[in-house]
Amino acid sequence: MRIGKHTYKHVKPLPYLLLAPVVLYLGFLVFYPFIRSIYLCFFVTNSLGVPKTFMGFENFKRVFTDPAFKKSLVQTFKFAGMVGAGTFFFALILALLSVQIVKGSKVYTTMYAIPMAIASVPLSALAIFLFQKYGIINILLGTQFEFLSTTPWALISVALVTIWSGLGSSFIFLLVGFRNVPDDLIESAVIDGASPIRRILSVYIPVASPQIFFVVFLNIVGSFKAFGIIKLMVGKGPGDSTNILVYAIYANAFLRNRFETACVYSLALCVVIFIVTRIQLALEKKLVIYS
Amino acid sequence: MVENKVKTRIGFAVKVLIGLIIISIILIGLVFSFLPEDLLNKIPSLGEIRRNLTTENYIWVWTHLSMPRYLLNTFIVCAICMTCQVVFSSFAGYAFSFFDFPGRNLIFVLVQVSMMIPAEVTVICNYLQIQSLKLVNTYLGISITSLIGGASVFMMRQYYTTLPRELKEASVVDGCGDMRFLFQIAVPLSTPIIASLSITQFISVYNRYFWPMLTAQKERMQTIQIGMSRLVGSENQEYGHVLAGAIIAIVCPIIVFIFAQDYIIKGMTAGAVKG
Repeated sequence: MRIGKHTYKHVKPLPYLLLAPVVLYLGFLVFYPFIRSIYLCFFVTNSLGVPKTFMGFENFKRVFTDPAFKKSLVQTFKFAGMVGAGTFFFALILALLSVQIVKGSKVYTTMYAIPMAIASVPLSALAIFLFQKYGIINILLGTQFEFLSTTPWALISVALVTIWSGLGSSFIFLLVGFRNVPDDLIESAVIDGASPIRRILSVYIPVASPQIFFVVFLNIVGSFKAFGIIKLMVGKGPGDSTNILVYAIYANAFLRNRFETACVYSLALCVVIFIVTRIQLALEKKLVIYS
Repeated sequence: MVENKVKTRIGFAVKVLIGLIIISIILIGLVFSFLPEDLLNKIPSLGEIRRNLTTENYIWVWTHLSMPRYLLNTFIVCAICMTCQVVFSSFAGYAFSFFDFPGRNLIFVLVQVSMMIPAEVTVICNYLQIQSLKLVNTYLGISITSLIGGASVFMMRQYYTTLPRELKEASVVDGCGDMRFLFQIAVPLSTPIIASLSITQFISVYNRYFWPMLTAQKERMQTIQIGMSRLVGSENQEYGHVLAGAIIAIVCPIIVFIFAQDYIIKGMTAGAVKG
């Protein structure tokens, strides 16, 4: 009785009605504003974001030749590198520690995963308290160093906090990957006399390579969007060192009402994310081992 | 044997200790939020902590900021977003996986492409639009960017495709209508994934900052994150107040997380990674 895939006898209106909210919503709140922000790149807008004068490619020329844009791009990548590598490194250690399910292991896996429930605002508040001039970090170091207003420490501090905030979900993804490793694979490695390090390198990591890949890129793309922590902890930072693209979008649009400049920045962010995602897909085909 | 037991015990203790180091940022904030301002610029001894414990920071925050109002606003916005996400994603997931119709693949590609457009890019034009529609400072305006998400639709669709097709065929033979099948068979079968979706949405909407910061400008409409952020970096910021506010803001998601983590993990990993 199954209807052939492309004959569509008796097309019912019901599936269209069921999908209408999603299609309309995505159209009005994702695709339309996306196209609209590309459109605004070619104009000068007034303070309400209404396009006034057509500029052609002038806005692009102005932004792309602006040293501030180049600096923003460079800092965005530095930040992404620190966050991507840092989160992966710490989450990897935590996940390897928790591979075995023992009685009570949920106590520590819950603690390792908890950062994913903490929002950027309270996290930034807690972190500011730790990093301040008379804060605990300075007391422990015996200094009175202004971490959040000195280069390069402002960027590093913000990166550390962003790493912390990404730790929970990365840990969970890696843990799921490692716990999927079949027992007989580990047993045969043990029988072959493979050391724990050897087992990690040649059993766990290859088998969990899809998750590892996913986590590294999840955090890189996540760092491009780390707005809350940057806004609350440092703003554009000393010497614009934390003025990464997402903060520049916010500052241009909502602090200066330069909506067309913000749109050019947001388009640049979109291209950056797109390129990184392409790299991810290309590398994934080469490096990831699907069992 | 005994040696092995000791080894596992030590291993367990070390792992818990690492966990405590990770959450130390919260624990430190928790302890200091109960201390008076003059003890905040040093590491007080346990005795000092015991003698000086005070709830004055919490009382100050609770009375000087409209915390109950912020929490109420947050829960209203969460409820709106969770309901819409669950209802519309279920509709869409059902349509995608149980019907064959022209344009199905095109619409599905559209959903997937929408997931690749970052919210940080659409935020400017969405804000301008909401502003011109006079929806700033309304619950609808604050919720509007989280009512439907490509990821939720994707998640529901993935789940519904795992339900056996025979179920639908059998119920059609029994004269069960399409909508009745959705409400009486598909939805009850998908309660675990609906729970995952709702809880994940609750935490993510509760924790949202960028969009409500733009759209909830009046204090009586602000969510907990926005209200709390007013404490950070204000002119006469007192760390005790900031910490108390932060702790109030994280209590709810932490409790939800601890009790519902299995659902959250299921929701996160469903369809996130191949292989």
